[in-house]
Amino acid sequence: MSIVQELSRALPKGIVITGEENTRPFECDGLSVYRQKPLAVALPESIEQIKQILKICKANNTPVVTRGAGTGLAGGAMPLEKSIVLGLSKLNKVKSIDAENQLAVVEPGVRNIAISEAVAEYGLYYAPDPSSQIACTIGGNVAENSGGVHCLKYGLTVHNIESLTMLTMDGEELTLSRQDDGMGLLALMNGSEGLLGIMIEITVKLTPTPQLARVVMAAYDSVRDCANAVADIIKAGIIPAGLEMMDKFAIEAAEGFAKVGYPLDAQALLLCELDGSEAQVQAELDIVLKVLSGASTLKVSESEEERLNLWKGRKSAFPAVGRLSPDYYCMDGTIPRRHLADMLDKINELSEKYQLRVANVFHAGDGNLHPLILYDANIPGELERTEEFGTDILKLSVDMGGTITGEHGVGIEKLNAMCHQFNNKELETFHKIKQAFDPDSLLNPGKAVPELHRCAELGAMHVHHGELPHPELERF
Amino acid sequence: MADRIAQLQALVQASSSLHINTEWLDYAGVVEYYPEELVMTVKAGTTIAELKKQLSKNNQSLTFYTKDDDVSIGAVYANGGQDISDSVLGVQIIDGNGEALNFGGQVMKNVAGYDVSRLLVGSKGKLAVITQISFKVLPSTYVGELSAPIKTNNNPALRVEIEQRLKSVFDPKGIFQ
Repeated sequence: MSIVQELSRALPKGIVITGEENTRPFECDGLSVYRQKPLAVALPESIEQIKQILKICKANNTPVVTRGAGTGLAGGAMPLEKSIVLGLSKLNKVKSIDAENQLAVVEPGVRNIAISEAVAEYGLYYAPDPSSQIACTIGGNVAENSGGVHCLKYGLTVHNIESLTMLTMDGEELTLSRQDDGMGLLALMNGSEGLLGIMIEITVKLTPTPQLARVVMAAYDSVRDCANAVADIIKAGIIPAGLEMMDKFAIEAAEGFAKVGYPLDAQALLLCELDGSEAQVQAELDIVLKVLSGASTLKVSESEEERLNLWKGRKSAFPAVGRLSPDYYCMDGTIPRRHLADMLDKINELSEKYQLRVANVFHAGDGNLHPLILYDANIPGELERTEEFGTDILKLSVDMGGTITGEHGVGIEKLNAMCHQFNNKELETFHKIKQAFDPDSLLNPGKAVPELHRCAELGAMHVHHGELPHPELERF
Repeated sequence: MADRIAQLQALVQASSSLHINTEWLDYAGVVEYYPEELVMTVKAGTTIAELKKQLSKNNQSLTFYTKDDDVSIGAVYANGGQDISDSVLGVQIIDGNGEALNFGGQVMKNVAGYDVSRLLVGSKGKLAVITQISFKVLPSTYVGELSAPIKTNNNPALRVEIEQRLKSVFDPKGIFQ
């Protein structure tokens, strides 16, 4: 009996999805250039069913790829060739809310926004807000340690998880809490990309909804002035709730799409959100307006409607760029803020070199860059050129003391770039950490950490092309 | 002082049993501090008092509780707690084979590789020598009153087993006592 038959027989009707047509929706995640059909997809409705599935997969030595909503951008949830996809979207209940202690216990398939909706009546919300928050699940958020526009002030997923219960590949339950004495296993699970365990219950921290939020829009004639303004706001002792930057091309695209009144003659645009009590917001606003006094256009939202409108352009930047090009490739490097202007110059040079357009949308407050490279996959060689361009940007990020991925994860997409950020000994340590949790390597194997031979081959290839200019860099 | 790392590596390689402490480490000082980045990178033997002195010049503060200003940041890190875990951005370590390794970095958002710099928070000096730590700081006005972390110690068998396996990942010869 095949594993697919075994699963179908063991589980109630409707749980196991098989066949070419039915599994097609699961062949990729948000990174749709890479596709692969699994043996089958299992959509369990209970923890017991997950355990049954794991048991059968283990007995058949078959890899398991855990999936939330499939909105990830790095191929982390892309099926492996002979794998079972374990989709947790049916486990979507908010189990309990403890308003007094600002906690909620949720199942892994609950959508990010659904948590905030469920606790809104208590004047609370769940702070991390990845742009896919209407669809993405909390289990996926933990797996990727997702960010969003409000991380600077409210932290990443890892800062907002109180405890979680996970299953090992053996189906054993383990609960990890922020209060555990000993190693930081809870933090380790955040961003582990489905390679260490399966999250089955998560207790999230909730944040009081701010009384007021206002956004300042500042336009600049020079990218460098705009980037410097970002550092100046922080230097002035202000931590904005959000601090986003867009370049000229991104402004044009967003304005053309959303018509929100962004100045089209600006070289760069800054959106700075302040939140808190009315008095706090006013006090911070006074300082921020002074810091931003060199802007060519300066506007403060006077109503909630206006605030949301100013954000609408930024939030629709990706689809807006998507309208201008058949395909685009979204990068995710993070660099120290002080290098923002230099990075933009370098990206523009590379854009010339590769003859590909780029729109730059940044979480400027935390140095997280999302250059969108525009390309057409139907033109032979253009995807390859785009990927080379992207790799150059990621290398620059590492060389500037940053990282290849700030919030999207490595998945399958950034395996090569990992070879640039970590040496063999460090990568080996990662592989051994996986073995400590998953000795048979059945949980999402091959993702997130490159095999050493892959890096060696890549190194050889680079030498062959005469482009291995980066010595082993000190990253501190 | 850069040679101190090489010395420490040699010490680890030559040892069969080591107890890490601040005096033994003999490695202190602020490596990098850009106030506008809200990040400080320091050698692990640096005292909390020294960090506070540097930070106060820029109206910034640590975001984790420390009972005693005379202890080193390395000791606070090894002892662990939720708040220091939340602050940590990166570490440089020497593992039980004497290898100098880097994990994390100096940026707020970083999801490349497993979060080793937070895994080692609370590892009590039994996994690796922590030589350098990068952590987030904040303008003092954003730091509320800090209190000692709450810790519970009811470790299920599976956790104990996983911690043992992780110990042998970093310290295969079992030299860190």
